[in-house]
Amino acid sequence: MFHFSIIPLLHQVQIDFKIMIRFAMALGALLLFPLLISCTDPPTNVIRFGLATAPTNLDPRFATDATSDRVNRLLYERLVDFNDAFEPIPALANWEQVSPTHFRFHLTPNRATFHDGTPLTAQDVKATYNFILNADNASPHRSALAMIDHLTIHDELTIDFHLNRPDSLFPSFLTIGILPAQLIQAQHPFHSKPVGSGTFSFVAWPDDTRLELVRLADKQTFEFIKVQEPTVRALKLLAGEIDMLQNDVPPELVTYLAKDPRLRIQRKPGTNFSYVGLSLEDEHTKQLLVRQAMAHAIDRESIIQYVLGGAARPAQSLLPPDHWAGAHNLKSYEHNPEKSRSLLAQAGYHAQAPLRLTYKTSSDPFRVRLATILQYQLAQVGIEVDLRSYDWGTFYGDIKAGRFQMYTLSWVGVKTPDIFQYVFHSHAIPPNGANRGRFHSDQADLLIDQAGTTQDLREKKHLYQELQAYIAEALPYVPLWYEDHVFMAQQNIEGFTIAKDGNFDGLKNVHRTSPSMAL
Amino acid sequence: MMFRLGIPLGIILLWASLAVLGQFLPLSPNSIELSKILLPGNAQEWLGFDDLGRPIFDRLIVGARTSFFVAFSVVTVSLIVGSLLGTISAYVGGWTDLAFVRVIDIFLAFPGILLAIALAGVMGPGIDNVVIALSIVGWVGYARLARAQVLSVKERDHVHAAVAIGTRPIRIMMRHLLPLISAPLIVEASFGIAGVVIGEAGLSFLGLGVQAPEASWGSMIRDGTRYMLVAPHMVIAPGLALMFVVLAINLLGDWLRDWLDVKGHGRRE
Repeated sequence: MFHFSIIPLLHQVQIDFKIMIRFAMALGALLLFPLLISCTDPPTNVIRFGLATAPTNLDPRFATDATSDRVNRLLYERLVDFNDAFEPIPALANWEQVSPTHFRFHLTPNRATFHDGTPLTAQDVKATYNFILNADNASPHRSALAMIDHLTIHDELTIDFHLNRPDSLFPSFLTIGILPAQLIQAQHPFHSKPVGSGTFSFVAWPDDTRLELVRLADKQTFEFIKVQEPTVRALKLLAGEIDMLQNDVPPELVTYLAKDPRLRIQRKPGTNFSYVGLSLEDEHTKQLLVRQAMAHAIDRESIIQYVLGGAARPAQSLLPPDHWAGAHNLKSYEHNPEKSRSLLAQAGYHAQAPLRLTYKTSSDPFRVRLATILQYQLAQVGIEVDLRSYDWGTFYGDIKAGRFQMYTLSWVGVKTPDIFQYVFHSHAIPPNGANRGRFHSDQADLLIDQAGTTQDLREKKHLYQELQAYIAEALPYVPLWYEDHVFMAQQNIEGFTIAKDGNFDGLKNVHRTSPSMAL
Repeated sequence: MMFRLGIPLGIILLWASLAVLGQFLPLSPNSIELSKILLPGNAQEWLGFDDLGRPIFDRLIVGARTSFFVAFSVVTVSLIVGSLLGTISAYVGGWTDLAFVRVIDIFLAFPGILLAIALAGVMGPGIDNVVIALSIVGWVGYARLARAQVLSVKERDHVHAAVAIGTRPIRIMMRHLLPLISAPLIVEASFGIAGVVIGEAGLSFLGLGVQAPEASWGSMIRDGTRYMLVAPHMVIAPGLALMFVVLAINLLGDWLRDWLDVKGHGRRE
């Protein structure tokens, strides 16, 4: 299900020597800072974009991680895109619904050709989707497109998708970049030598740390540079070695960078949903009173204000209220330690027999810090939390296998409301889905099924809102917040607009207004 | 005298007393106050607050306990195990001694802190495992020293006399050898403390030592590195504490070596 890929909040599964090297690098960078200033004079014709994680796969048929997906959006065009409310809008193609199981897509006339000069036609669309649908190719996106029965080419510019079941949201799933049919046939290595029809074309990818693309319209070169350590990334921005950054910088550092007159900071509310996941099979956390007590014990407002630097908004549901299927006026759990204590007392816990929980988190320092704060806030109402941090692989494996009482994680890049089917339906218990807390509710199942099968969009929206109201009451997750996107750049870099889902499409309009600052 | 003995002794006594008495002080090293995050020091809270709004002064004292506890456990274990094995090996001699020397050589050829990192990594994080890892690395120095010293004294007349009247080997080692070699071992141990303090801080810095929310100077520095641009006080306070303690131990060790050195006494007086 590629619309909502979870990216590791900590991407490094590292051995400890790596940490040592990273810190040594950070320290080294600090010591060398004056040197760097004096000896680096980056050429002005390249715009450099700092990344926390490098893309791993430039083939949209196989890429699943967020960075690859964002870079692939620049290299390839897709049939359908999303607006800010996450409604599908035409990209390469307009569509009409011929029957409940038949969609017809018309390629737009002013589309670009592929980077190798061949025009993009219905053949290419068909070849791309047939490749993904072929089980032999083991594309991770195949299951999300399982509703496609077959594709037929109507004419050069028109292609028909025939579904095996009605789905009025179907166009929302056609967001995979289109590849040239000839090269698919020739088994071209797209993952390392991408050829698409996007506004950027591939130049070089010499190693993991540096990817070079060129914007076709004006031959502006862009470099994507991986700098893993946030402090070093910030220092490189200050030194002018990179021109811009998006996200993955601790809030304190953002505040620090914001004070520098050479830099500009932009923010935009994001949609990545952070939450506390709870096991609905555990004898303690399966009690609604306990979950309510936890929700009331967490002081989200203070955390957002002091720890996240104000760069987040409190969440009530997995979908933000500005999503087309988002809900307003959901039950919200205010910070109220008194109420929390009395709820715990009702559930039968008291000072002599306190509630004890094990809380798993990844070993990313910022996540551990947030977890320590939640641990403290829960301790204030008498919940004793044993905090365990694991490397990403172990942590994620435990969560998927249901080996947890309590954990924190985020959903990243959620766009379509079928996420509820994937996360809360009783049939979606791993490996069939992501109902990791083992939430079983007939009413939720009913609402999810109804919303999924209803073809009328207004009715669908209504059902999803009803579902979210129910979930806010049943509390299988304790919702935390949606983190904002933060963009930091040199003053002379202009034109970037932050995307709602954090993609890099803003680079299409970025330009340098004056020569690189003389340092 | 003041510089060589007074100041170092003062620092070490302060370190030891904070470590021992710290738990009776009204400290709140783990109390999180979000509104105080990264605040620098002021008149009430000299050292300021860390990235969770916890008072750094309180955490520094708790960290003193960690380093003190680890240093003394590791040095005690290493000293006892090392000197016993070294003494026995030298006294028994022959093939046993030869094999033992090879083992020591292997340990010494391997970078100590790397071995400790590997051990702590295998055994999992935790302060107990740090003590074990550092002891496994630490005993070798004492063993080598004890062996060399015993070799130089075991042919003395009083040892031969003891053997002649049929004293048991254990008694010879305890009564007739160990007292003679104790001075260099004590000096070695005093320097060893400094090494262990650094070792513990290093392992905690790598995340292999104390686990959150417990404090150690190494883990405090580790937490602070991420905020070095924004809040340098988070690194400076534990860094200086570490530096002063290690410096004091080394100065004191120097003084102790001179004081125990019979030849030195003669020259000075």
